[in-house]
Amino acid sequence: MKGLKTILLILILLVAFDSVQAQQRFPKPEFKTGYTQPVPDTPLPHGVSRKFVDLTVLLTVMSLTAWFAIRKRWRRGILILSVFSALYFGFLRQGCICPVGSIQNVVLALADPTYVIPLYVLLFFLLPLVFSLFFGRVFCGAACPLGAIQDLLVFKPITIAPWLRKTLGIFPYVYLGLAVLFAATGSEFIICRYDPFIGIYRMHGPYLMILLGIAFLLTGLFIARPYCRFICPYGALLNITSRFSRWHLSVYPAKSKCIECKLCTTGCPFEAIDFPDVKEPRPEPRRNARRFILFFILIPVIMAAGGWIGSKSHVFLSRANQTVYVAELLISHPELRDDPANLDIQTFLASGKSLETLVEEAQVIRHKFYVGSWILGVFLGLVIGLTALNQLIYRRKEDYQANKGACYSCGRCIDYCPVE
Amino acid sequence: MNRKNFINRSGRWLLFGGLAYLAGRIIYRQKVSPSGKYSWQIDPYKCTQCGRCATECVRGLSAVKCVHAYQLCGYCDLCGGYFKPNTHSLNTGAENQLCPTGALKRKFIEEPFFEYTIDEELCNGCGKCVKGCSSFGNGSLQLQIRHKLCENCNECSIARVCPSDAITRVPVEAASQIKGDFIKPVTPAPK
Amino acid sequence: MDMQKSPVHIKLVSNLITLSGIFCLVVALLLLINFIHIETAKPLESEALKSLVAQFQGDQQNEVLKQDIRNLDLLARKAFFTGQWQVRTGSYLLLFGGIVFAILLKVYHDMKARIGEPLITGGSTQIARLLSQRWILITGGLLFVSALAASFMTTDYLKIYEETGQVVQPKQEQIVKAVDVENTQGERRKEEGESEGNQDAIPQDSIQQSPVTSHLSLVTDTQPPVTTDASGVTRHASFRGHWGQGLSKAVNLPVDWDGLSGRNIKWKVALDKKGYNSPILWDDKLFIAGANAQARVIYCYDRNTGSLLWQHEASGIAGSPVTPPRVQEDTGLSAPTLATDGERVYGIFGTGDILATDMNGKRIWAKNLGVPDNHYGHSSSLICWKNKLIVQFDTNTSGRLLALDCATGEPVWNHARTTKISWASPVLAELNGKLQVITVTSPTVYGNDFETGAELWALDCLGGEVGPSAAVYDGLVYATNEYYRLAAIRPGPAPEIIWEADEYLPECSSPVAADGLLFVATSYGIFLCYDAKTGQKLWEHEYGQGFYGSPMIAEGRVYIMDRGGAMHIYKVDRTKTSLGDPVIGEKSVVTPAFADGAIYLRGEKTLFCVGK
Repeated sequence: MKGLKTILLILILLVAFDSVQAQQRFPKPEFKTGYTQPVPDTPLPHGVSRKFVDLTVLLTVMSLTAWFAIRKRWRRGILILSVFSALYFGFLRQGCICPVGSIQNVVLALADPTYVIPLYVLLFFLLPLVFSLFFGRVFCGAACPLGAIQDLLVFKPITIAPWLRKTLGIFPYVYLGLAVLFAATGSEFIICRYDPFIGIYRMHGPYLMILLGIAFLLTGLFIARPYCRFICPYGALLNITSRFSRWHLSVYPAKSKCIECKLCTTGCPFEAIDFPDVKEPRPEPRRNARRFILFFILIPVIMAAGGWIGSKSHVFLSRANQTVYVAELLISHPELRDDPANLDIQTFLASGKSLETLVEEAQVIRHKFYVGSWILGVFLGLVIGLTALNQLIYRRKEDYQANKGACYSCGRCIDYCPVE
Repeated sequence: MNRKNFINRSGRWLLFGGLAYLAGRIIYRQKVSPSGKYSWQIDPYKCTQCGRCATECVRGLSAVKCVHAYQLCGYCDLCGGYFKPNTHSLNTGAENQLCPTGALKRKFIEEPFFEYTIDEELCNGCGKCVKGCSSFGNGSLQLQIRHKLCENCNECSIARVCPSDAITRVPVEAASQIKGDFIKPVTPAPK
Repeated sequence: MDMQKSPVHIKLVSNLITLSGIFCLVVALLLLINFIHIETAKPLESEALKSLVAQFQGDQQNEVLKQDIRNLDLLARKAFFTGQWQVRTGSYLLLFGGIVFAILLKVYHDMKARIGEPLITGGSTQIARLLSQRWILITGGLLFVSALAASFMTTDYLKIYEETGQVVQPKQEQIVKAVDVENTQGERRKEEGESEGNQDAIPQDSIQQSPVTSHLSLVTDTQPPVTTDASGVTRHASFRGHWGQGLSKAVNLPVDWDGLSGRNIKWKVALDKKGYNSPILWDDKLFIAGANAQARVIYCYDRNTGSLLWQHEASGIAGSPVTPPRVQEDTGLSAPTLATDGERVYGIFGTGDILATDMNGKRIWAKNLGVPDNHYGHSSSLICWKNKLIVQFDTNTSGRLLALDCATGEPVWNHARTTKISWASPVLAELNGKLQVITVTSPTVYGNDFETGAELWALDCLGGEVGPSAAVYDGLVYATNEYYRLAAIRPGPAPEIIWEADEYLPECSSPVAADGLLFVATSYGIFLCYDAKTGQKLWEHEYGQGFYGSPMIAEGRVYIMDRGGAMHIYKVDRTKTSLGDPVIGEKSVVTPAFADGAIYLRGEKTLFCVGK
């Protein structure tokens, strides 16, 4: 026994200088007592059928919400559905994969030649958008688990001034643009990373993420649906598609007429109900037209400026990418090569890849960022310009009606409206 | 009114067309897999056992566990993955074990072979045993994502910070390979 | 909900709300405390356990220690799993409490619900719109401005690397901040990613590198900075390596070879013309020069295969003498070693011709500095750094130290001095916070400011015909010549000799210092090691062959080639440890060039690459 131990010890010491890569240093043992080696169990993850079940549930929930909101006009049904979504999509399915994050997958499928998007992910992306083209934001109303959890915690909503709302409403587009940029360059999925509520649904996560989630929920007690209104990038898309919806939730029943009692405005915690403005003095048409034309000319300028600034920003934006980050770290802090605690650098150095190659790869990625940041800048310029321009467009609202872009089809206003 | 309806309708079909085009483009390039689903997988040949698997997983106790490819194991008395280096007395005392949670268990089979199994409830995925086994043994111990536990996030938090890019998306059918039949690294899907 | 709105019920509900609210708060607080506790005292990585185990390694029979470790280990494991359980339970409790709280709030709200005030239409919506418009534009402007500001504050390191081919040298204050960089990658990228979305957050590292010219900063010790790529050393840009100090950071260097049998010789090529100059390297190219009375040529070889890539003849230069000056045959017209900065290759010959070609052999500029009055032949090698080419041009008739612009050859500064002729080469070093050019002449050793050429210090301590260049270590400059002395000089406004030795002095081979040791090789075959600080002689060895080439230090070893072609390799250590004496099979007087895994040697007629 001791002799064998020593032999093994010597053997081990002899081979100790070998590379860390696995090698069959010791021969396969031959068992004399009839012992059979166990087979390691290799559990496979769930198949894809579960995901199609989820899609069916999503379809059902959205359809029901549309029916409850538009036809049946039944707020409680929508409330029940949102509780169901919070439980099913949220706690049971852990909120992943969700349409909000699927934006990134779709972008990756377009940008990365080696990524094949699973069909169910594509459908998760498309279905809520298609539904919103016809029925409004029924996804937000009852199907989205992130929205549901915020919606259920609306307690005492405060009113936010219109200018603040509109200004903060730009940030979903910023977030959307950044998410698309980072996903397209294969850097990371920031929507998934900074999702505040997923930690709560999973019942664990990085502590900071949970804290952020709880902070959002507590904020949501007073500022209704903060994530939906001011951050959600998918909401930015739904806002646009919902404006052209064929049918939409209406505050008062379709065949009736608004009596302008304004009760609905107290009921809507999201200030998504537009006020009539026919009685307002119209602004001087000429002055308004002049402003309009000014903006029309200004918008391409803003877009160009945005694009130029975007292109300038590509350097620091590209640092989000691991390859670029490590390359720049090695160049700017060569002394870190001797730092054993910096795992990224030590692993890179051990990989045998040369800094030249890494820098080349980083340059390729940085170029992608250059192009992407240009587009991002132009896009943001367009968003800012159009949002500002939008303030000048007068649409002749005759009565109190839900703003098609902002209304989540939650149905609260239905209960407040006294008209039959 | 008619104008309003017209704008409404054309906008709607324009957007619908846009979405259809997007979907069509992706499908046309065969970039859609109808039955496909991805899962996360660690390539044990790339893994450097940095220890981030234990700390970065969104679950409280990581979904990454040490898995033993028994057919590669040498069943050594002086196991490089079990014992700390420079251990003199080869027993199961805590002072000799590499594993911080005591998940790696040692059992005598016959002279001079010992069997090493992992109690997955105790394993935290730190990879110390894997490092020892790769350096001084056959490399039969490996870290792998256990799919009964893994949440299958859209972007794996560990993959994001893996210094050797060892965690990639693989099709679900190929998602739990153990070394031994893992002769060549699986052609990785991108992160 | 239709609930009876009696005050009793309302009171009950509000009490329940308070209760559940407190419950949630308490659980949340406990969880937070638990989190802090786990983060600060990671049970599985407890320092106490680690130190006990370390103790145990040395003392494995100690039973008490063994028991202690076992107990502590058990406690640690229990703590870890208990912590996990606590978090799980706490989370469920918090969730349950939260749900109860939320439901109660709803009930309370419903019970207290009244018809509220309608939203104030706020006067004219027109004003509201204009206000919105203004704020939107302001916000957009702020966003753009902050993005622009952030972009101006970031340094494009990839571009710097591309242009200069070098890594950045850390600033003094940045070395402190460099520790910060040990943040996990995740946190850093979070900052970068949020910068666009959060106007106030400016990426952390852009604060660190304030001026864009941070890459001009210099190291604070006298050792030359690392100018290598991350994978390793592929450059040896001038005589005696980077900054001419005789040190190389190359690794995996061979210690054994045989030029006669070809063992461990990767390739060898016969050289066309003779020359006393050492090979220099830049990535895949090797440059070397040779000359005879008819032509002076710069050669470029592929350093991996030994194939000749190009050669460039230094001919047709204005001012070049029709007949070259008469020089000693040993020295030849191509004694000075070439220099390169990755963009151009610079060469000077005994005719006074100095020229620059690009990396593919196309001439960029050429001029003649005047035929040097030098009875052996001009030998001072070139060195270039930061777009200045330093030329030591000390002749029998005049003494000059020149800096030429690398791109154009135009003089940047000229230090005229009254000194006798020298065959030594300039060395760069950072001393007293300034980058200096150190030249050794007879009798004076000079330190000039690299940027301006101003003479910072000078000390008369030598004489005769000075061949060895200076060595620099830890703030001291070592200058030596045969028959005079080996002096360790502390430079400064009043330079002084800290210690000196007067036996075993070289006439040609330059000393080299590292790790507190100074190595000297003499022409009559003595190789010795001093303590660099005190001058105490530590060890020596006498060889049959003398040394003309200079010793080089790399990978903890000192390599010195004797005139017979044998390389003597010693460990850089206070005790004499010989590591081998491989031979190339030819006479050699030239100093080797190092790259990762390869040593380049020049014999009389052959260029060797040693390595696999």
